Amino acid sequence: MGIIFLSDDIMQTPPIDLACENICKHFAQFTAVNDVSFTIPKGSFFSILGPSGCGKTTLLRMLAGFESPSTGDIKIKQTSVLNVPPNKRPVNMVFQHLALFPTMDVAQNVGYGLRRQGVAKAEIAERVAAVLQRVGLPDSGKKQVSQLSGGQRQRIALARCLVLNPTLLLLDEPLGALDLKLREQMKIELKQLQKEFGTTFVYITHDQSEALVMSDQIAVMNHGKFEQVGTPHELYYEPKTAFVASFVGDSNRWSGRVTQQTGETLQVTTKDGLTLQGVAQGGTFDDASEVDIFVRPEAIHVSRLVPQIRLDNQLECTVNNILFDGAKSQIIAIEEKSGGRIMVAMPQTADFKDLKITDTLYLTFSTEQALCFSHSQELDDVDH
Amino acid sequence: MSTISRSRSPIKLGMWLLLAPLCLWLLLLIILPHLELLTYSLSAPDEGGFTFEFYGEFFGESLYWRTFLRTAVMSILATILTLLIGFPVAFFIAKMIKGRSKGILFAMCLIPFWVSELVRTFGWMILLRESGVISTALQWLGFIDSGVELLYTDATIMLGLVYSAMLFMVVPLVSTLDSLDDSYIEAGYDLGGNNWNILREIVIPHAMPGIVSGCIIVFMLSLGNYLTPVLLGGKDSLWFTEQIYTQFITRFNWEQGSAFGILLLILSSLIVWLGLKVTGQSFTKTMG
Repeated sequence: MGIIFLSDDIMQTPPIDLACENICKHFAQFTAVNDVSFTIPKGSFFSILGPSGCGKTTLLRMLAGFESPSTGDIKIKQTSVLNVPPNKRPVNMVFQHLALFPTMDVAQNVGYGLRRQGVAKAEIAERVAAVLQRVGLPDSGKKQVSQLSGGQRQRIALARCLVLNPTLLLLDEPLGALDLKLREQMKIELKQLQKEFGTTFVYITHDQSEALVMSDQIAVMNHGKFEQVGTPHELYYEPKTAFVASFVGDSNRWSGRVTQQTGETLQVTTKDGLTLQGVAQGGTFDDASEVDIFVRPEAIHVSRLVPQIRLDNQLECTVNNILFDGAKSQIIAIEEKSGGRIMVAMPQTADFKDLKITDTLYLTFSTEQALCFSHSQELDDVDH
Repeated sequence: MSTISRSRSPIKLGMWLLLAPLCLWLLLLIILPHLELLTYSLSAPDEGGFTFEFYGEFFGESLYWRTFLRTAVMSILATILTLLIGFPVAFFIAKMIKGRSKGILFAMCLIPFWVSELVRTFGWMILLRESGVISTALQWLGFIDSGVELLYTDATIMLGLVYSAMLFMVVPLVSTLDSLDDSYIEAGYDLGGNNWNILREIVIPHAMPGIVSGCIIVFMLSLGNYLTPVLLGGKDSLWFTEQIYTQFITRFNWEQGSAFGILLLILSSLIVWLGLKVTGQSFTKTMG
């Protein structure tokens, strides 16, 4: 079955629901969105991931119709919506603080959009009941918004939009206000609901874990531009820019200079003295040019004995600190010779149970695991 | 238990000290005078003892109860007009403009109230009388041949009442509308609403406490107003406070005046209570 569905998907690519063409938005002092183009196929979960102030909210508000782009075009189902006001667009939005109307009960909230469309009363009641059933809150129609828990409010806010069968559903960091446990649970629920309803979701967030878990496609945005658009897998394993490598997932990052290069492989000496080998990304480098090297903590093989296999990067370190966080525990290690710092994921095996500070560790990773990008001053600024 | 109550007692003392001016004010200026008014209105002046005579006089003499009704109806009308004019002004100040100009506009609503009510009312008289600014201007422009008297009509009284009460409507409205997050209005548009039904279903229900408290204040001020109806309405203004004034000062009939005073208090309480019942608001909610 799965195979048949898969081949179907490949055979007929789904139609494009949203196409943005060269969108720019200039405010008096600065450019919030700078020449962004992308398309979203029907039924997919598309996330825009970026730090605060990167322009993602402005972009979303342009899709909803609350702002209009300075230049460029927004097409929903091949038709430009630039001249369509927000209340006429086939687009609905879940607001950051949900904006459930406190003066109405749940059923009135969910039915608000249907009443605006002039749907008959009996049909409104029926459709509201149906959508409340689908989001798993069948008996909450008569409740006041203030009586609902955080997670229930999320679902009501979704139901209020989904009952209108929008072409696009925009979500403006709706999970931001929830506590961690509930957020983890809502991530799964949101993804599940998106699959069930088959609605195209455009989700903006600054939380990379939300984006990675839920999305089919993620656009990483910085300074008003898309740095990279791709599947979560692509962004994580094949970042195209230094910003993506540092923003998506955890990474060790070292700044250093190229000391030697053979083809794609660079040998780099970092500022704190480590000598590493990595793969050049995004162009070629001159000797002595400044680069940033990124290595994922979990890509580093850790052992307490001298390893049998030799890899390109081999470091002998002592444990400087252990950051215990259950399955996500990490070790901060210092290389004896150079004093360079490196962060590695702690293997969850019996060998490491009694690991303590000042123990010796052997860290190894291949050249392919170390990605070299040309040096970015911005990342330095974030760190300090 | 004992430790809790012991630790609370100094707080209680402090609270009473803070409340003392308010309690004294209420007792000395509101409760005692009204009790005195009530005794006056119910006692026969010559032989002493209890009588309903002065209340009977009110219902017997048509001028009295007609003036009474007229005052009530005109005050309600003034309240409605103030709300209709004040709401867009408040909405504009609270929602349409941002930053500095907001404060400036708000101050502009306040500035007329730096001048005493008497001076403000005389200002209207200078504008509206037969030889006044508007009449002269109309003559000069050739719209009318001879001077026109714009004073001493019900419309003039209404103008004065609305003008002098506007601030007391705008202030509570601005504060409730300010507390309405823009995202509610945006959500309304996003879900397909237009200006009218967002106003009706989202903005007005949210602003209801402000609307009701503004209306209560404006209604009370209009009902108890003396200067504006007398100066702008002239001899024919027939405002109930005028009747009270006449009884106390001209006729020196304190008993009758007291009875009128009590009746006015009952009337205003009754209408405010009705207003709260009709709009489904509670007094504590609108004042909180």
